[in-house]
Amino acid sequence: MSRAATTAMPRSRRFHLRPIRLAEFSFLVFLAVVMGLPLLFLLTGSFNLSAPGKPAVYGVDNWLRAFTDSGTLSALSMSFTLSVVRLIPAMILSVSFAWLIARTDMPGGKFIESVCWIAYFVPDFPLVLAWILLLDPTFGFLNSLAKSLPGVEGSIFNPYGFWGIVWVHTSTGGIWFKVMLLVPVFRRLGATLEEAARVAGANTATMLWRITLPVLAPMIVAVSVLSFIRGLQSFNTELLLGTPAGIYVYSTKIYDFLQREPRAYGEATALGSVFLLVLAVLLFFYWKFLSGGKKFTVVTGQGFSTLRVKLGKWRYVAFAGCLLYVAVTMLLPLTFLVIGSFMRRYGFFNITSPFTLNHWHSMLSDPIFLVALKNSLIIASTTAIGGVLLYSALAYLLVSRRTITAPLLESFCWIPHVLPGILLSLGVLWLFLATPLRFFLYGSVWGIAAALILADSPVTTQAFKAGLLQLGAELEESARVSGASWRYTYRRVLLPLLAPIAAAVGLMNFGSALTSISTPVLLYSHESRPLAILLLEYSFTGELERAAALGLLITAIIGTMMLVGRKLGLHLAGSE
Amino acid sequence: MRLIAGWKRVWLIGAFVLAFVCVAATELRAQTKASDKEWVAVVEAAKKEGKVVVAGSPDPVMRNDIIPKFTARFGIPVEFVAGRSSQIVSRVETERAAGIYSIDVFLAGPDTSANELYNDKMIDPLKPLLVMPEVADGSKWKSGKVWFVDPQEQFIVRAFSSVATLLFINTEHVKPDELRQMKDLLNPKWRGKISTEDPTTTGAGANKAARFYVQIGEEFVKNLYIDQKSVRTRERRQMTDWLARGTQPICLDCREDDVRPLLKDGFKILEIFEIAGAGPTINGSPWMLSLANKAPHPKAAQVFANWILAKEGLETYARGYGSATLRTDVDESFLNPGNVPKKGVKYFDDTDWKWIVGGRHENRDKVWKLLKAR
Repeated sequence: MSRAATTAMPRSRRFHLRPIRLAEFSFLVFLAVVMGLPLLFLLTGSFNLSAPGKPAVYGVDNWLRAFTDSGTLSALSMSFTLSVVRLIPAMILSVSFAWLIARTDMPGGKFIESVCWIAYFVPDFPLVLAWILLLDPTFGFLNSLAKSLPGVEGSIFNPYGFWGIVWVHTSTGGIWFKVMLLVPVFRRLGATLEEAARVAGANTATMLWRITLPVLAPMIVAVSVLSFIRGLQSFNTELLLGTPAGIYVYSTKIYDFLQREPRAYGEATALGSVFLLVLAVLLFFYWKFLSGGKKFTVVTGQGFSTLRVKLGKWRYVAFAGCLLYVAVTMLLPLTFLVIGSFMRRYGFFNITSPFTLNHWHSMLSDPIFLVALKNSLIIASTTAIGGVLLYSALAYLLVSRRTITAPLLESFCWIPHVLPGILLSLGVLWLFLATPLRFFLYGSVWGIAAALILADSPVTTQAFKAGLLQLGAELEESARVSGASWRYTYRRVLLPLLAPIAAAVGLMNFGSALTSISTPVLLYSHESRPLAILLLEYSFTGELERAAALGLLITAIIGTMMLVGRKLGLHLAGSE
Repeated sequence: MRLIAGWKRVWLIGAFVLAFVCVAATELRAQTKASDKEWVAVVEAAKKEGKVVVAGSPDPVMRNDIIPKFTARFGIPVEFVAGRSSQIVSRVETERAAGIYSIDVFLAGPDTSANELYNDKMIDPLKPLLVMPEVADGSKWKSGKVWFVDPQEQFIVRAFSSVATLLFINTEHVKPDELRQMKDLLNPKWRGKISTEDPTTTGAGANKAARFYVQIGEEFVKNLYIDQKSVRTRERRQMTDWLARGTQPICLDCREDDVRPLLKDGFKILEIFEIAGAGPTINGSPWMLSLANKAPHPKAAQVFANWILAKEGLETYARGYGSATLRTDVDESFLNPGNVPKKGVKYFDDTDWKWIVGGRHENRDKVWKLLKAR
């Protein structure tokens, strides 16, 4: 691992390697089975040319067909372009938001942070439709408003096209996810370094550029990598806004192969392998970056100051800017979504009696709904707790050990992030069915939770890893010297320091589990159907209004959990 | 004497006919009783199995009408595994490779039924299991018997045959007499005003384009989808909304069940079944019925299959979906008359077995090649 990681390791523990090494190899075997095997199944399957149920015949035809299919390369190029164009402004905005919320005296920071959390979990499909209602050149609300202005003729906005996709992405998922991950690590950053810089005469910008960003680089880079790959896989928005304009992205090509009859999973896996390649390149540079002799420790045993940067009169300007961004990119479409759930036909105000409570009533009185709600809560809670326990331990291993298995461990962790959801689901299905646990896991809420825990590994592990990289070795060392056991040290020293990150990723996993569709789609049964699958069924059958109502309900559940989780996180961190 | 002999002959023949009728009636009654008895036994056995697992498309008719009615009638709960056909088949194949057989009944589209379930030998003969008297009775079917579409006439039942919509128009923007022939669609006036489900991927859009390719020709397909800048989408709700708003007032692939609520809301939408230049078409939507082999609940599956092909099952579906069934005793007054096939009219059958297993794929590939090249 990196030198930074080495410094985080208590020297005294280098002589007590056995339990940790055992844990490390256990993790390696576990990850190789649960992450590596599904990938192996998929890759092997992609070379199998025979029809399902027939004896296997291997060859490269699927790969050739996938990459010689017309439009594949242009779609790949479009995906890269869109992902890069979206990433740059989104990262600048996210880092700015996180810094303002966590490191400055801007008023209303907690409010803005809460909005980011809620915004991230608003289902994107109805939200994209809300943007269409706002921006459509013919009937868009904002275009109608603009046309009433003097000197404006024709429509100003058009969501169907490259920039429409970029804008809607920035609104629906562009910065919320990044802010959620960045704020806890920005909070962990003690003010000592910044204070020293200020004493040395640095202004706020210099301090941010020379001090804050470099020491928080592991998380910023990790979030950038996560976002870039997520951008490459993005699909829903492109489907709604790109197809009418003839814009096709790489994920659309994969989707096409997955929808074909007979199915073309071999071709889809071949195309998906490009994501693996991109990940390998990005991880190589990420590891090079971390092992470049840099040190990211910001939480040490030598005092911890939480003084925030004073913005003076700019604090109100900053707050107004954040508020404006949130209002335009989220509250505006969200308002349309709320209204839409009460409309007989989403977005049609000119029909007789356009408003109704029927969609909410029929959703709540649907006998499937309560079962799905219960299933979802069990799945989401298990995913949140399981993910935090598993990946905090894994991240601890990754950070605190210098071993040849670390790159392997970390590579396995990234696999779920590069596999298109449905392929991951198929891989996990194969895995479940190949184990003796299949009768317990397959078709049960526990199986879905297990699959979602696997899917959460990249984000959760990276978040914990970045948090642990910030902790100085002497914190653990002093506890050990004082006679504390490892468990006691973990509970009383590490856990409180990691609690905000644990709360953040736990909540994020909780929300993802509630909204994830592609992972459970091949794994659920009639008894274990979660809310997200119900949402898929509503969308599939064009019951958009009911889908909007259900989407809002899911958002409300996540909002409530967020408040509870934040409270818990702050309590564990001793900040209350 | 001759007269008496003649009457004698008449009496003899009459007596013979009467005796024959009596024997036949007795035999028929015995058969009916046997059939009733067999059906009762099947239902009893099905109840003991506890449930039936049905896989199909997630449509509201199934969820809101079919499942409650079936459960109320037989006391057998229905577990409905809903999803896209490709996902369901992937799942079932993977399960089967691991020795798990979870599905009893498939309500799948023609492509999936023919090219996957039948081709991959995932289904059992259904014909011998249709024992419910009103299903087995050939007089209850327009074709004189239950229509099995597979070559052996054993596995896959087609229960519907409706005239397919050619296109929908919003008459506030397009007058019906502006579209008298298919080539009228190529009028520059409609450039950018026609919406279609994306014809470059699997689905209704590609299927219709393949049909146009066969019926009208390559040049028309090129002109319609490329030169006319037909607006593509993969979201059916988006197409219906465009039609209602008049943004794209001609919709090639809107679904009737999506458009019906618009008509109730007073939108001026007209469903067009035929235009000169493209023959009328029928199809077997919304599903074809087959039974999984090694089904975990075979008797319950048999009861479900029989019931859904009976008057109650099919009429429920027909009302919810707006499709014409192949039964003679289903009330069709609620249907759009245009949906009901007319006698003597030659239709292009979009669910014909040969077309499904071969012709459609070949022509769809040609369409993709044509459209993707541009």
